[in-house]
Amino acid sequence: MSAAEGKTAGTGEPILVVRELHCHFGGIKAVNGVSLDVGRREIAGLIGPNGSGKSTLFNLISGTVTPDRGQIRFDGHEIGGRKAHAIARLGLARTFQIPAMFDNMSVTENLLAAAAEGHWQGARERAADTLALLKLEHVADNRASDLSGGQQKLLEFGRVVMRQASLILLDEVTAGVHPNIRKIIVEAIARLRERGTTVLVIEHDMEMVRNVCDRIIVMDAGRVVATGPFNNIVRNSEVMQTYLGRPQ
Amino acid sequence: MKPRWAVFLLLIAAIVVLALLPMLVNNYWLRIATGALMWAGLACSWNMLGGYAGYINFGHSAFFGLGAYVTALLMGDRLAWPFFATLPAGIVVTALFAIIIGAPTLRLRGAYFAIATWAFAEVLIQFASVMDFTGGIGGIGLPPFLDERFFYFAMFGAAALTYLITWALFERSRFGLKVKALRDHEPAAEAIGINTSLVKLQTFVLSAVTASVFGAIFAYWVTFINPKSVFGGDITDQMVVMVLLGGLGSLWGPALGGVALFVVNRIIWMYWGDTAFYIAILGAAIVLVVLFLPNGIAGMFSRRVAKSGAVLDKAVGNLVGGGPGRPS
Ligand SMILES: Nc1ncnc2c1ncn2[C@@H]1O[C@H](COP(=O)(O)OP(=O)(O)OP(=O)(O)O)[C@@H](O)[C@H]1O
Ligand SMILES: [Mg+2]
Repeated sequence: MSAAEGKTAGTGEPILVVRELHCHFGGIKAVNGVSLDVGRREIAGLIGPNGSGKSTLFNLISGTVTPDRGQIRFDGHEIGGRKAHAIARLGLARTFQIPAMFDNMSVTENLLAAAAEGHWQGARERAADTLALLKLEHVADNRASDLSGGQQKLLEFGRVVMRQASLILLDEVTAGVHPNIRKIIVEAIARLRERGTTVLVIEHDMEMVRNVCDRIIVMDAGRVVATGPFNNIVRNSEVMQTYLGRPQ
Repeated sequence: MKPRWAVFLLLIAAIVVLALLPMLVNNYWLRIATGALMWAGLACSWNMLGGYAGYINFGHSAFFGLGAYVTALLMGDRLAWPFFATLPAGIVVTALFAIIIGAPTLRLRGAYFAIATWAFAEVLIQFASVMDFTGGIGGIGLPPFLDERFFYFAMFGAAALTYLITWALFERSRFGLKVKALRDHEPAAEAIGINTSLVKLQTFVLSAVTASVFGAIFAYWVTFINPKSVFGGDITDQMVVMVLLGGLGSLWGPALGGVALFVVNRIIWMYWGDTAFYIAILGAAIVLVVLFLPNGIAGMFSRRVAKSGAVLDKAVGNLVGGGPGRPS
């Protein structure tokens, strides 16, 4: 892996390159020819109306769903069609829009499980740190299924932190989370970037997008319809109206 | 810290009592204790995959029977292997079959695996019934060895080892985290780098191999086996009910369920001289456990509040598809 890093890091190739990606469910073309790049250490925001294919794109990139066709290159590796665990081991981590808890395991075990394949050394200490970071210490021994909805979102984010990944995909990770905790997540994302992590976030909250993202990618009906810095996207009122449903 | 010590002392006490049991009871009760240990061990072996990984095996008797037949055939007049030499052979044969059955089916939803294991046990019954070298329906005898203490300690050793391995692997190691993670949410387990197909296969092989060792000891113990007595579906049924009763996915649940049901079985046999009634009790136990005690006996003592039947929900959801573990 370090060899691959050495090879690609210098060339400045984006960490994620997606080309002409397609995926359909029955008659629905959920992802219909998506091409996009995400640069190293970038925090990119993926926005678009409900059902525009954002989560499906995450599923394709992470290997949870197999694409019909198209290319995905991550950190110099062709990963299109590879198994999800193989992609994860290359340094990609993600959250699920509907929190994907290991229900019958404790909160701590949920975090430790994320380190079971990979960086196991010091995992217990990192789990304790992560619990402290996300203010989940008091529920450390509770079953994950007994957490509140917001706490489950936090735990899901905590597992990603435990992965020590080079690219993380966050699917509406702050939806339904208290503003104080949202601030903690935003700060944690900033810290991850300082460590060299690249982040792609799906968000419906424009305030959050403005504060966090270097660049916005807008999807509609399975396609990328616009991309650029937040202010450019917002100034393009056509995009705002058509794709976000409200003028700004 | 206190409950831990209590559990530890209880465990030491149990081991001491079990080790001294042959000096305390007569052969009749020793045989019952031997059987109880065997069922506690078998229930634990089924629970490795069924409880910890959430994959229901409806043909676990296949592996019990494979162990029994391998030992019986190797100890027969023609080969006359010593008993302990047959154990590794049984383990290798069982592991190979588990890989052949598990590798293609464990990638799919639990229903495919459940059907495949069930069919495999049925095939083995038929196979053993028609082949000459297995003695057909009539079965096959082993050189008699009538030392009850030997079999008691053999079952005790195998059961102790089974629980020790289960504890170390599923409760105390990274491997256990992977297994439980894939049971609770397979796509999320994959997303954190867990090769779920491989981990399931490893668990299945371990579970199958454990059952085969008990089959081998059982065959030598009863000195005579036939296809129904070691491959029969009722053997799997009992393991399933014992685990459900004791607590699916818990360490001690299968021991509690195994001992409890086996003792009930023996009591019924003593009073009625017939175990048909026992089958009815098994059926009733399944219904009652699923309705009123979804976390089993062990669940009543759990420190963590558990939503009722959460592990059972996972296993059943996995079986029928679209369960809680598979949202995408
Ligand atoms: N597993 C699936 N089976 C069938 N259809 C699916 C599946 N996953 C997604 N879809 C469909 O694909 C389309 C895109 O869904 P997707 O979840 O990617 O949208 P999204 O942009 O994430 O929406 P939201 O903002 O509501 O989360 C929808 O029409 C959805 O119904
Ligand atoms: Mg979505």
